[in-house]
Amino acid sequence: MKHAVELEELRKTFVVKTGKGLKRENKEVVAVDSISLKVEEGQSVAFVGPNGAGKSTTIKMLTGILTPSAGSARVLGYVPWKERSKLTRSIGAVFGQRSQLWYHLPPRDTFELLGRIYNIDRKRFAERRDQLIERFAMNEYLDTQVRKLSLGQRMRAEVAASLLHFPRVLFLDEPTIGLDVIARQELRDLIREWNQEEGLTVFLTSHDAGDIESVAKRVIIINHGQLVLDDSVSKVKRHYLGSKLLSVKFRAEPTPFSIDGVELVKSSYHAMKLEVDTDKVEIDTVIKEILKAAPVADITIENPPLESVIAHIYSQPKESVQSSDV
Amino acid sequence: MEAEKEERLWFKFTGYLTLALSYIKFNLKSQWEYRGAFLSQMVAMAANNCVWVAFWALFFTRFPVLRGWGVEDVITLWAVAATGFGLAHSVCGNALALPWIIARGQLDVWMLYPRALLSHVLLGSMSATSCGDTVFGFFVYLAFVRPDLPHLLLFVVLSISVAFLFVGFSILTGSLTFFLGNAEGLAEQWRFSMITFSTYPATLFEGVVKIILYTLIPAAFVSYLPIVALKEMSMYYTALTLAGSFAVLAIGSAVFYLGLRRYESGNLLEMRG
Amino acid sequence: MFNSSWTKYLWIAWTSAKSNTAYLGEVGSRVIFLGVILYIFLRLWQVTYSETGASELGGLSLAQMLWYLAVTESIILSGPRVSQTVDQDVRTGQLAVHLIKPLSYPLYCLGNCLGERSVRFVLNLSVGLLMVTCFVGPIHITLQSVLFLLLALPLAFILDFLANFLIGLGAFWLEDTTGLMLIYSRITMVLGGMLIPIELFPDYMQPYLKALPFASIVYGPARMFVAPDPAQMTGLLANQLMGILVFSIFVYAVYRVAAGRIFANGG
Repeated sequence: MKHAVELEELRKTFVVKTGKGLKRENKEVVAVDSISLKVEEGQSVAFVGPNGAGKSTTIKMLTGILTPSAGSARVLGYVPWKERSKLTRSIGAVFGQRSQLWYHLPPRDTFELLGRIYNIDRKRFAERRDQLIERFAMNEYLDTQVRKLSLGQRMRAEVAASLLHFPRVLFLDEPTIGLDVIARQELRDLIREWNQEEGLTVFLTSHDAGDIESVAKRVIIINHGQLVLDDSVSKVKRHYLGSKLLSVKFRAEPTPFSIDGVELVKSSYHAMKLEVDTDKVEIDTVIKEILKAAPVADITIENPPLESVIAHIYSQPKESVQSSDV
Repeated sequence: MEAEKEERLWFKFTGYLTLALSYIKFNLKSQWEYRGAFLSQMVAMAANNCVWVAFWALFFTRFPVLRGWGVEDVITLWAVAATGFGLAHSVCGNALALPWIIARGQLDVWMLYPRALLSHVLLGSMSATSCGDTVFGFFVYLAFVRPDLPHLLLFVVLSISVAFLFVGFSILTGSLTFFLGNAEGLAEQWRFSMITFSTYPATLFEGVVKIILYTLIPAAFVSYLPIVALKEMSMYYTALTLAGSFAVLAIGSAVFYLGLRRYESGNLLEMRG
Repeated sequence: MFNSSWTKYLWIAWTSAKSNTAYLGEVGSRVIFLGVILYIFLRLWQVTYSETGASELGGLSLAQMLWYLAVTESIILSGPRVSQTVDQDVRTGQLAVHLIKPLSYPLYCLGNCLGERSVRFVLNLSVGLLMVTCFVGPIHITLQSVLFLLLALPLAFILDFLANFLIGLGAFWLEDTTGLMLIYSRITMVLGGMLIPIELFPDYMQPYLKALPFASIVYGPARMFVAPDPAQMTGLLANQLMGILVFSIFVYAVYRVAAGRIFANGG
């Protein structure tokens, strides 16, 4: 299997000046702490972590903007910080809060300029542009100045612009930030479509669990610069917390019961919501107890939402991550 | 009843004075967090003004074009203009940003406070370069004109008056945004014109332009009346200067509150231009 | 390869020019100030010429003086905010957006600056010349004047760009570059001859002022337009090219160090 992105023991430390005057000292801060991972070509990966976890530092190293302190990485076979100019032609990037479109000009002009910057053959460029216009449904606003576009339209144009030069890997940094529900869904669909149909490798960072669930197959969570989880999105939802949510509606007042490993989340008249720790107690034991308590009208078993899985992981304390004084 | 009313008014007045003072203290403190930037901007502005004054002082010494004024009067003019402008925008740092604040719907933030909107918005920030202007103005006046005490006192009064005029003028031009939408460009041009006219001796101008300098671009209240007042120690010209500032401030505030009725709080999305 | 990489930057300049014409209305309102300042200069010089009784000052008649000032003001007022943009790019990390493209950042900025400045200069100059024509009437303009202006201007703009870019790069080391920008722009105005031609400065200062890059940016092109002189023109071009060479070396060296910092620290 061919790998689009390979990281081996990748590490980045910064020297930060602290204190004032005579007490001034240099302190080494570890931003990325020996991360290793492999992403196959055509995969879609969500890169998740709280602010300051080391996400953007990693992306900066993978796009060749930062040189790591130790370890190695390859993106499409290139070492990013050594072969940046070759790499730029095969990767694209969208930064949700930074625009690459020209504000006072219609998207068409930016596309034209990008065609020249990437030096794309004119005929190939025209075909690609038309394909993107059609797929991203940009016909109606292609000739409208960017400042007059809605944020949703603008973000679609941003993503299309970053695909013009046939990149094989696309880095998306918080692409849906600030978008409304519909525009958000449209954008996610487009990214997923491009990933599945064109085999584009997608590397996405986001705080939005919805983005991750609908775009990515695999989720990588980092915290304090370290990789804490790397698994498929569906598995994470099923296993990581080791808990299930049980919603029960009774036909009559249930007799009170308590089981070790079951927590009452919410209860109202003839209904309750329970969180079951499946490590401590089997789910069928719990259901038996429920059936004993009163006749049941309805029962649903759910996985906890991805959001709470991520929140749970974020809240883990920092372990074995040290910052040493220089 | 009357006395009570008076007392309340007095209470209100001192209340705003303390508000202003605490904002000045607060703004200075937050500027001090970036003291390197603050000091370098201040010094750069003062140095800039020195270059400018030195240049024109040389020019006016070489070419006798001042029509009755001496170089000392011109230096007084720059001192008054710089101190007034500097005071205005170091205390009311948001005055220059008013068009921006209105156009982007940022007034909302200020409307939530239980204070008179306009004065509160204006006090909200401090401009480092303006502090440089103020320091420069005082220094130049003290060093080159070497005033006696009465002159110095009058200079301070006039500078404060000019400061009020600049604040009023900034409010007036900034409030255009209420009526014209994004008028940053226009407000800026109008203000530049005012500043430019305020820094050239008013004796150069005649006719219609002179009328404009008392109305549309009230630079005469900066570059003519205060200078004559100082030159002749004239209470009459001092009174005229004060009246002009009061009028501009009154008109500016009136236009602001008139415009406020048309204010729609913004939901503009920030984007890089 | 070399060829195509140049068209890239020309295209950036073209896009930037287009972007600036897209909101010409807004840019247009900015000529009000030009009108005011030219009127003040008109009064100043009318009085100066009449009080001194001279028909020529520094080799220029009143009409030529006003035309000269229209050009110098247009040059100064058309200057894009290069150093602010670079400073912001460095501080906010926007630089990253440029670095992931096959582009040289300094050349990108240069293209962007030249495109914007051309549009703004043409607008300012047309309005400025129209105004001074109303004030003092036309002056004798030859093909040579126009040719000299067209030759000297791009070099002047490049020189000014390099200086501004260098100040903007200061953001890598300094807490604030606003002070430097203020001083640079003020010195360009005063010593560059925006307010009076270099000939009116004291005699002992003139040779130094003319040799400095400021005069190559402002005074030189304007003077060659209103009173062209082939000998002076050669000197001007030599000065400009020399300035560009020296500043390019500086920019190259400083940007290399700065880029090293980006790659180590991310700016």
